[in-house]
Order: sequence, then structure tokens, then C-alpha cells
Amino acid sequence: MFAFEFPPINEILRWQDIFPGFNKIALIAVAATVISVSLFLIAARQDYREAPTGTRNLAEISVEFIEENIIMQTMGRDGLGWTPFLLSLFLFIYLCNVPGIIPILQMPATARMAIPIFLAIVVWFVYNVTGIKHQGFFGYFKSVLFPPGVPKALYVLVTPIEFISTIVVRPFSLAVRLFANMLAGHLLLVIFALLSEALFEARDKVLIPLGVLPFGMLIFLTGFEVLVGFLQAFIFTILTAVYIAGAAHPEH
Amino acid sequence: MQHAVATLSGGNLVSLRWVSSETTDTTMPTEMMMTTDTPMVASTAVAETTGPNPISPEMKELQWGAGSFIVLFILMRLVLFPRLKKGMDARYAGIRSDHEDADAAKSGARADVVAYETALNDVRAQAATRIDAARQTLDTERQSQLAQVNSRIAARRAEADERASAVKAAGRGQISDAVAAIATRAGEIASGRTPDAAVVKQAVVSAMESAGAR
Amino acid sequence: MEVLARLAAAAADPAEAKNIAAAGSAGFAYGLAAIGPGIGIGIIFGNAIEAMARQPEAAGMVRTTMFLGIAFTEALALIGFVVFILLKYA
Repeated sequence: MFAFEFPPINEILRWQDIFPGFNKIALIAVAATVISVSLFLIAARQDYREAPTGTRNLAEISVEFIEENIIMQTMGRDGLGWTPFLLSLFLFIYLCNVPGIIPILQMPATARMAIPIFLAIVVWFVYNVTGIKHQGFFGYFKSVLFPPGVPKALYVLVTPIEFISTIVVRPFSLAVRLFANMLAGHLLLVIFALLSEALFEARDKVLIPLGVLPFGMLIFLTGFEVLVGFLQAFIFTILTAVYIAGAAHPEH
Repeated sequence: MQHAVATLSGGNLVSLRWVSSETTDTTMPTEMMMTTDTPMVASTAVAETTGPNPISPEMKELQWGAGSFIVLFILMRLVLFPRLKKGMDARYAGIRSDHEDADAAKSGARADVVAYETALNDVRAQAATRIDAARQTLDTERQSQLAQVNSRIAARRAEADERASAVKAAGRGQISDAVAAIATRAGEIASGRTPDAAVVKQAVVSAMESAGAR
Repeated sequence: MEVLARLAAAAADPAEAKNIAAAGSAGFAYGLAAIGPGIGIGIIFGNAIEAMARQPEAAGMVRTTMFLGIAFTEALALIGFVVFILLKYA
């Protein structure tokens, strides 16, 4: 028949150090920063009075995307001050997701837990600090733990649930959502790539044409991963915006 | 019978497996390993269970990821975003002011058109009054000249009439005298006596008048 | 042949037996975790499409809210996936 063996998972996900303490994931993270910074630096150099083209257009589209589709939809006009934070969050996550489908790199940096968990913790601090700043320490925890409009007796039930969902589950689900989506996509790509390779190189010549099927699936999934990479960056950013808006104005 | 198969990649031992003798022949299929540079801790068939949990974050990745994100955020917050946003705002403000300029120019032009039209109407009205006045003066002048000419003509005609009637009267007197003389002479010849001159004259005049009236 | 040989060897080794049981239940963990979110995402999408068809002018807001809802629903399936990995590899 044909030889198909799924490699150990760490072999797919863990990368050798390029130099000590610096592996492919770190490379992708640094590249994401370098690319975003150079994008905006080049964009800022172009003449702003003319209609934007090329790099400047790209940078302005990203800014307007954050402002129109994320901030205006969740925080309203007051939230426009959050644009730099959400923009860097979005760009960083997107540029960490995209290498999953770029040949040679073929690894989304967010398919490792490190970056998602760090970003989720940052977001956790940001929205809690925002809530404390806007409502005071006790005011914030009162609005979180004792949401208004609930019968007094139900607080026994509601308060622990609210505490767990706001303080514990939110950063966890934020990190896991990003990580698991990208990891699942990466594993799917690996499985179909290995399957088509196994079929194309099968000793039984009858099996070779069948390799077209997983290969077609591989191409389809690569296209799908483009969408998923963007969507996950969008969802992470918009959830951040929703959490910040909820902490700043509890009545919404 | 079992063999140990070692897979080598880039000088590193990638995996070590037990393979039963049936599947091992001289034409081993190409190993289906991801080409990777990770040196694996080689073990028997349970290689997956060794090594760190795939979910636990790794310290070096965490450090590099955190470092890059913090650098990106600080640069974005302090330099990149304000610079780009300033340009965008300036352009939008420019576009808005251009729009406003265009609107102002449009309304200015409209006001100019209105002013021009009022001026035009004024001028037209003035011209009309002036033309009317000129026509009136012309009319009166013509009327007066016409009247003058008419009066002059009438005077001349009256003069001529007078002269003509004088001449006529003189002619008529001469004729009646001549006729009276002829009638007197004819009466003298016929009756031998001289008729009264005054009666003859009256008869001649009345006869001439009745003839003239006829 | 290989699998049979492995299974025979595993029966003797308790650690191996635990691994095999974990690998077997890992599939169930993800499969079961995917049922609920699958239905939930279907309901969300269906209602979002209905809302957008009724009021195309509100499509942008509906789409944003739809993605939020999907994100929350999907989290359950993804936790199942993480459990799968934990069971299989941890």
C-alpha cells in the first residue's frame, strides 16, 4: 500500500533555534513588527495631500478599517482614542497568522500558545484597568459582579458566574480561540500535504492519481486559511474593543 | 522480526521507530516526515508523549512575541499612527475646506449673476425711459413743426386766396363795367336814348352773379 | 501488522495502555464538542442572513454582531479541540 505516518506533533510545531533563544516563531513575531513599522514609515513619507496610493493607501485602509468596522461598531465616537492599540493588535495578529500560508515559512506564529496568551493577558489588563479608571475600583467590581436589574436572590448564582466569565474565562477564551483556530488550520494543512505526498509517491501506481484529491483539498484549505487568518485577527480585535467598551461604559 | 529505523534530517536524529520486517525492504518509501530541523528526543513508538506539551507556551517565543508587540505598540502610539493620522486629517480638512471654498465660490457666482441681472434690468429700464422721453420730445417737436408749417401754408393760402379774389373782383368790375358800357351803348342805339347807368350796372351784376352761381 | 504488534506490546505496559485509551477518547472529545457549536453557528448564520435580507441597510451592524456571536459559540468547539490535543499529547 502506501506509507502514511503522522509525525509527532512537536515535530510540526516546535522549531529549532536559528540562534540560541530565537526560533521561527520569534522570527515571525519580529518580522510582523518590522513589516508594520516599515509599512507605516513608508506610508508617512508619501505626500499626504494627494489621493493615497500604494503603501499609504494600505496603511490608511487599515486605519479606516479599525475605525469604521471595529471602533464605531462597538465603542462609538469616544473610542477613537483606542485606534493605535487596536491597530497594532490587529496588524500584529494578522501578520503572525499569515505566515501559515506563505511558502517556506508555513507556520502561523499564533499556532503556538505564547503569543495568544501574552496578547490575551495584555487585553485583560487593559480592560480591567480601563474599567477601574472609569468607574473606580469598587464601582468597577460592583458593576462586574453585581450587574443591575437582577433580583437580589439571584446574586448568589450570578456573582460567581460573572466573576468567572469576566475575570477568568475571557482572557482564556480569547487566547484559546486564536491559538486553536490557527493550530487546527495548520494541522489540516499538514495532514493534507502529507496525504497528497504519500499518495503521489505510493509504490502502488494505481494510487498516484488519487493524490489529486487531497492536493485539491490542500489548495482549498490554503485559501480558507487566508480567510481564517484575517477573521481571527478581526475577532480578537473586535472582542477587545467590546470588552474595553463594556468596562468603560457598563450600561451598554 | 523488527528493525529500528532511524530518520535523519540535517544531521539530527529526527525519529526512531520500530518497523516489522514485512514493511522493510530495500525500496523503503520516502519518509513522510515534515522536513524539520527540530532535534527530537528520540525514543520508541511513543515519541509524541515526550517533549513539552504543545499547548504550554515556550519562554523564548513568549519573550520575543511580547517584545515585538510592545515595540510595535509603542512605536504605533508615539510615532507611526499620529504621523499618518495627521496627514489623513490634513487631507480630509483640505478636502472639506476645498468643498467649502467651492460652495462659497458657487454662491458668490450666483450672487454675481443676481447682481448682474438687477443691473441689467436697471439699465434696460433706464434705456426704455430714455427712449420714451426721446420719442416724446421728437413727437412734440414734430407736432410743433408740423403746426408751424401748417400755419405757414394756411397763411400763404389765405394770402393767395385774397389776392386771387381781389384780382377776380377787379376783373369782374372791369367786365361788368365793360358789359354795362356795351349794354348802354346797345340801348342808345336801339332806343335812341341813354338808359340810366346805375340801373344797367345793377342788372349786369345780378346777371353775372346768377351765371356765376349756376 | 505493526498496529497489532504495538497493541500486543501495549497490553503489558500500563503507560502505553493509558496512551491508547487517551488517543481513543481524544477523537470523541472533539467530535462531541463540535456538535453543539455546529448547530449554534448554523442558527446564528441563518438568522443573520434573514436579518440582512429583511434590512439590507443594517447589514454592517448585523455582520459585526454575527461574528461576535460566532466567536463566542465557536469557543466551545475550540476548547474541545484543545482538550483533544491535551488528551492526545499531554
